[in-house]
Amino acid sequence: MPRSWLSYTALEKIQRTLLLTPGVLLYGIFNFIPLMALFSLSLVKWPGIGPKEFVGFDNFAKVLTQDYYRDQMLNALVQNVIFFVVIIGSFLIIGTALALLLSFKTWGRKTYQVLFFLPYPMAGAAVAYLLDLFVHPRGPLNAFLVQTGLVDSAIPFLGDQDTALITMAMFYTWHRMGFAIMLILSGILAVRSDLLEASMLDGANRWQSIRNVVLPVLGPAFVLITVIVMVDVFNNADYVLLIMGPEAGPLRSTDIMGTFLFRTAFGGNADTTDTNFGMAAAIGLMTALLILPAAIFLALKNLRSS
Amino acid sequence: MDKIFKLNKREQMVVQLIMLAWVVVVLVPFGAAVLNALKPNVGQVFREPFGLPDPVTWSNFAKAWVNANFAQYFLNSAIISISSVILVTFCASTTAFVLARMPFRGSTFIFMLFLVGVIIPIRLALAPLFDIVRGLGLLDTLLGVILVQSASMMPVAVFILVSFMKNISTELEEAAKMDGALPFTIYRRIIFPLVRPAIATIALLTFVQAWNEYFLPLIFLQSESNYPLTLGLQRFNQQFAIQWHMMFAGILIMMGPTIIAFMLASKQFIAGLTQGGVKE
Repeated sequence: MPRSWLSYTALEKIQRTLLLTPGVLLYGIFNFIPLMALFSLSLVKWPGIGPKEFVGFDNFAKVLTQDYYRDQMLNALVQNVIFFVVIIGSFLIIGTALALLLSFKTWGRKTYQVLFFLPYPMAGAAVAYLLDLFVHPRGPLNAFLVQTGLVDSAIPFLGDQDTALITMAMFYTWHRMGFAIMLILSGILAVRSDLLEASMLDGANRWQSIRNVVLPVLGPAFVLITVIVMVDVFNNADYVLLIMGPEAGPLRSTDIMGTFLFRTAFGGNADTTDTNFGMAAAIGLMTALLILPAAIFLALKNLRSS
Repeated sequence: MDKIFKLNKREQMVVQLIMLAWVVVVLVPFGAAVLNALKPNVGQVFREPFGLPDPVTWSNFAKAWVNANFAQYFLNSAIISISSVILVTFCASTTAFVLARMPFRGSTFIFMLFLVGVIIPIRLALAPLFDIVRGLGLLDTLLGVILVQSASMMPVAVFILVSFMKNISTELEEAAKMDGALPFTIYRRIIFPLVRPAIATIALLTFVQAWNEYFLPLIFLQSESNYPLTLGLQRFNQQFAIQWHMMFAGILIMMGPTIIAFMLASKQFIAGLTQGGVKE
């Protein structure tokens, strides 16, 4: 041991640095530096190969003013908001209802909890293809609807511009509902029992107690779910990429920010020529700014709770 | 208190009905997959999607496994996930140890840099990330995907571990220092054993995330021999698009390990993934 010629303090410093370095390097090179490089890359025009051409804020100007890009961006943004609202609406309504029922002394509620959570750990790719086949015009759901006479002919859920986006949102909801239920349930179970007892003593019935004591304290859980889903759906477009591809058909009716960003960097199909990494960086940066308030809120909440 | 959560017979029936309705919503797609993966041809799938398979054809799984190269995909997914777990648990715990237990000038600053990664999803930076990975010559290599996926898990892992480590009392550590123990020893002998539950949560979270990740491999892998299951399933979908019985078999092959793991440790899965999602 080099103990004899190095003091304890020196050794401590060396070892501290050695312990710190791997994590900082890993995170720095493959996460932090790319995030910071968004700024510089957003100022160049660059098809991903060859020389970079400095264009200043041209990429931002193009996305915000040039019809071709602006229309795509607005379309993706509006559809992303619809996608988000459908998901968060079903999470808060169905999720709260099921979580409330799970909080009662229901038979088999542990089993229900497990079953409700079952889709959550599955890979998005498997879920996307499974549900894609399930709702296909020739698939099980439509066969059931037609055979029972609920509809006259099969509904092309994903083939129709009007229903494709909503159907995608339903896929997301099916996949992640267990997560929303568990978060709301833990909020319900954390309600202080003395408050509930007091409200019962005051003569409130069950529904009054739930409405006046339980629901108000679920606020933080609702906000948390909203923020998590918001950050996720504005950067993650896996379902659309898997089922519709980067062109986000039919007729871009399922295009959201994630697919728009992907298309800008890598092109929609094989013969795309106008890919621009600089513009992709600019769009990434703007999307980041869009979800930043929500994301900062989430981070602050984590800081406070730790 | 009890009165609120206790149900009489009639209420119990209503609640059961609603719960069962959602169970149907959750389970029917899985059930349809199992039924139809066992059918001998696609005609039976289209004619009667909920009819029993006749004859029961287990060979679809074998055919899918062989034809679609699932063995290779499985191996790649396993390599990526296990390496990510090792890398993340090691790097995040050592980094968090220094940040939480041996603060120095600038350690708060480094912690704030990790905060940036918690706030902004790495997918938004796909263009610069692609540039860096290609610059390092890691494009289309498993190592590249492992490093990128691990790095994307680092901020959350460091966060969970720092908050966990800050709550450990300093007594043991100070006693060890009196005896001349150096940081390596303190980390290995004192802190690591104490934070094992948090490390287990992070390992589970990283494994599930890495196993299920589709987007990052999509960006960084080109040759099929490097494909993980998620990309393999996409390739399989292109090949067997019309052979639905095979598609269902492929989907079930992909879901199988997750379902088994979930059934074996559903409690840990629910607790760990819910917590991890919150820290995302």
